[in-house]
Amino acid sequence: MLLAPMSSRLNTETVGIKRDAPQARPDSSRWRNWLGVTPFFLFTFLFIVLPSAYLLVGAFRNNSTGQFTLGNFLGLFTPEILSAYWVTIRISAVTALGGGLLGFMMAYAVTVGGLPRWVRTTLLTFSGVAANFAGVPLAFAFIATLGRTGMVTVFLKTILGLDLYDQGFSLYSFWGLSFTYLYFQFPLMVLTITPALDGLKREWREAAENLGASTFQYWTRVALPILMPPILGAMILLFGNSFGAYATALSLTGGFINLVTIVIGSQIKGDILYNPGLGYALAVGMVVVMAMAMMIYFALRRRSERWLRQ
Amino acid sequence: MSFLTLANISKTFGATVAVADFNLNIEKGEFVSFLGPSGCGKTTTLRMIAGFEMPSTGIITLDDMDITYQPPNQRNVGMVFQAYALFPNMTVAQNIGFGLQVRKTPPAEIQKRVEEMLALIHLEEFASRYPYQMSGGQQQRVALARALAIQPRVLLLDEPLSALDAKIRVELRLEIRRIQQTLGITTVYVTHDQEEALSLSDRVVVMSRGHMEQVGTPYEIYNYPTTEFVASFVGQLNLLPIANLDRTARSCTLAGQPVHFEHSTDRPISDTPRLAIRPEEFWLGDGQGRNLLRGRVETLIFLGAIIRVRVDIGDGVLISADLFNARSLNLPRVGDEVLVSFPVHACWLI
Amino acid sequence: MKAPAPSARRHVQTLWSWLWIVLGVLYFVVPLIATFDFSLRAKKDVLTFLAYGRIFTDAAFWRTFSFSLQMAFFAIVVSILLVVPTAYWIRLKLPRLRPMVEFVSMLPFVVPAIVLVFGLIRVFSGPPFRLTNTFAGTNVLLVAGYVVLALPYTYRAVDTGLGAIDVRTLTEAAQSLGAGWGTIMFKIIFPNLRVAILSGAFLTLATVIGEYTLATFIVGNKAFGPYMSLIGQNRTYESSSLAIISFLLTWAFMGLIQIFNRGRAEGHLAGAR
Repeated sequence: MLLAPMSSRLNTETVGIKRDAPQARPDSSRWRNWLGVTPFFLFTFLFIVLPSAYLLVGAFRNNSTGQFTLGNFLGLFTPEILSAYWVTIRISAVTALGGGLLGFMMAYAVTVGGLPRWVRTTLLTFSGVAANFAGVPLAFAFIATLGRTGMVTVFLKTILGLDLYDQGFSLYSFWGLSFTYLYFQFPLMVLTITPALDGLKREWREAAENLGASTFQYWTRVALPILMPPILGAMILLFGNSFGAYATALSLTGGFINLVTIVIGSQIKGDILYNPGLGYALAVGMVVVMAMAMMIYFALRRRSERWLRQ
Repeated sequence: MSFLTLANISKTFGATVAVADFNLNIEKGEFVSFLGPSGCGKTTTLRMIAGFEMPSTGIITLDDMDITYQPPNQRNVGMVFQAYALFPNMTVAQNIGFGLQVRKTPPAEIQKRVEEMLALIHLEEFASRYPYQMSGGQQQRVALARALAIQPRVLLLDEPLSALDAKIRVELRLEIRRIQQTLGITTVYVTHDQEEALSLSDRVVVMSRGHMEQVGTPYEIYNYPTTEFVASFVGQLNLLPIANLDRTARSCTLAGQPVHFEHSTDRPISDTPRLAIRPEEFWLGDGQGRNLLRGRVETLIFLGAIIRVRVDIGDGVLISADLFNARSLNLPRVGDEVLVSFPVHACWLI
Repeated sequence: MKAPAPSARRHVQTLWSWLWIVLGVLYFVVPLIATFDFSLRAKKDVLTFLAYGRIFTDAAFWRTFSFSLQMAFFAIVVSILLVVPTAYWIRLKLPRLRPMVEFVSMLPFVVPAIVLVFGLIRVFSGPPFRLTNTFAGTNVLLVAGYVVLALPYTYRAVDTGLGAIDVRTLTEAAQSLGAGWGTIMFKIIFPNLRVAILSGAFLTLATVIGEYTLATFIVGNKAFGPYMSLIGQNRTYESSSLAIISFLLTWAFMGLIQIFNRGRAEGHLAGAR
């Protein structure tokens, strides 16, 4: 019996250091080893780092004089550009929330919702397709669905007497674009959140029930708190996904919606209000938002991995 | 009436019979183990007591109440799972207090109870840790405390030690028994490890293929196994082919050598009866009241405290004899002619 | 007897699950039906495949499609040659560099396609590269851009694949049997990563084939994405039929990945929008 109190201390030292088998002899001092990864770093330097750095430097430089300036960033604070950021952020948030909710509920249905196995397989395949079905053809599909003569528009008008466009809806506006983005957003949610739902152990539910918890108590006190980091993480991924979208918005609205990507696009083309410095600043602004989103995403992912491993 | 009874319990999943014709009465404060290989129905039976499975037939009563179809969250039965199943989003204290919290116990009372439980498992200083910051053995002790915090009527343990290292397994085994005896709680313990079952339990239920093979105290199970399955699953056993069986004289021959046995032969035995002897019953050399066999040493296996000698006694019959590795042991060499003996009362027919 | 409570609860749960599935399936299917229906209405009052006929007889369709297919092919080959040896080498010899390589391979997530193409054009149109002055140069730039877009997916697929095999032991076993680096790479590592490489390749194909953002700024209307966009501006029914064709293509590529992956959810996260 004396063993018991001892054992509580016995293992404290070993906690946390038993991950990963010993990494056998990586002697990275030899230059030959570095040769093996040179092509990769050279490529990524040329085609990711250099272009980003170019934009970054350009954003801090006066176009005509070449001197350091913050003027380009001050140029972002015009109503036009601020509204572009605001609309882009709003549309990204709305589609991340909407797509997140729909995608989560569908993933819930096929993982713990008690549906037959084939529904899951089919849903995951469908989601793989839909998450990749974006850009120009997606815009065409939604024009045929919710455009002025689109099938759903006509259906609602003739059968239910509801004229969407009289009600102020337009496919080429904020909500129309949101509906369109949702088409690739919710499948992306299904794909990212399904593994997390699979990670919910049956024993957690049973342990909760065993301790007297109702289904509701299990979900609010155990399952949802455990799932919260991956859910938030996935929604941030969705946010980034619409934030950077360009082709879908352009082909749907013909460039008449004021999104950051669209503004950058016209800066590249150099057609309206051409001002390279401002373009660079716009691009840097986007990267900053995306980088923040990704940082939160990875922090959340680390937390949930810590919880779910073993 | 017994505290916990399982009457005519059976469970089928589709066409497979997981448990059949299971009858057991467990007294208050008793520690009962279900022992058997994987797939023998022991876990399914435990899960029926917990309420995670519904029996196909039969009735389970607890404290004179029929709980057969009662939802698991109303049974007040504590369960410890093989993979700990601690809630990863909660600290140790929150895990232990969870059952009380969902019962709307006042916070002060919860805290008091959590402290008691932490003291019981000797993890007082770990209250605000998260499960991922603890070792497997510590996590399992927390799981035990969590199950006990709700003051369950029965404690169920589903292979609680099988995910742990050998050394911690033995430590925790002692601790489980200590806590069980301190609280006097009725306990059902599922395991495939005979050592655990024998060392912990008041009674052991040996199961195979959904059936109860034998129920008895550890002593009975080990020394008087009633079926071949029990005899060979619990402990090591020599099962040797015999000839010239004479039931009245209680004698037979083993590889041509005469052998006497003392055990009653009124139990049904198979058509081709064999002689059962535990390896630890053998000695090198002769002795009073013992059967003597002559043979040649075929192999010696060094197991530490024990040396297993395999002796060829002729007709291709091999016996395994476990000898204590004492200094006084005069160890034969492979190929040596030896005499081995075993007590007349230590062998029986199967 | 007293059993109904849990089973009734389960029925409610199943019903609730089906409800969401039906909702999602409607969202998924209705636009496809609408598009397909629309694509058949090129003639008044009859259903016809005329729009498809016009697309398939359009020389520009075949020209741009095969151009994009070629770009995708080169992008896939370059990705594999770049990512597989690197990921292998990192696991074998330079594990300390792994977080760094992982970070770099995630960068394309942070740099949206429109920003990437902006930077690429600015850097490579001027000295010393001047890639945008020749057709070959723009093609190289486009392929490089596609490799960047695919990098996060390719790297993750390959790295997961490498994690599933014991790289070090396999390498040491091969070396002890006398194999050189070339043999190890092509006879051991590549074959063992078949599934990861194939799903990475088809994912790249699916995202690159109709890609618009990079293509329109680097090569213009030579590529399939900009071609579709052009059709959309002038020809209503043909654009619907293109959407259906494009959807079927995506479906085919994803179906192939599904076959390789056997139902794992990993590995088909999307690419460029």
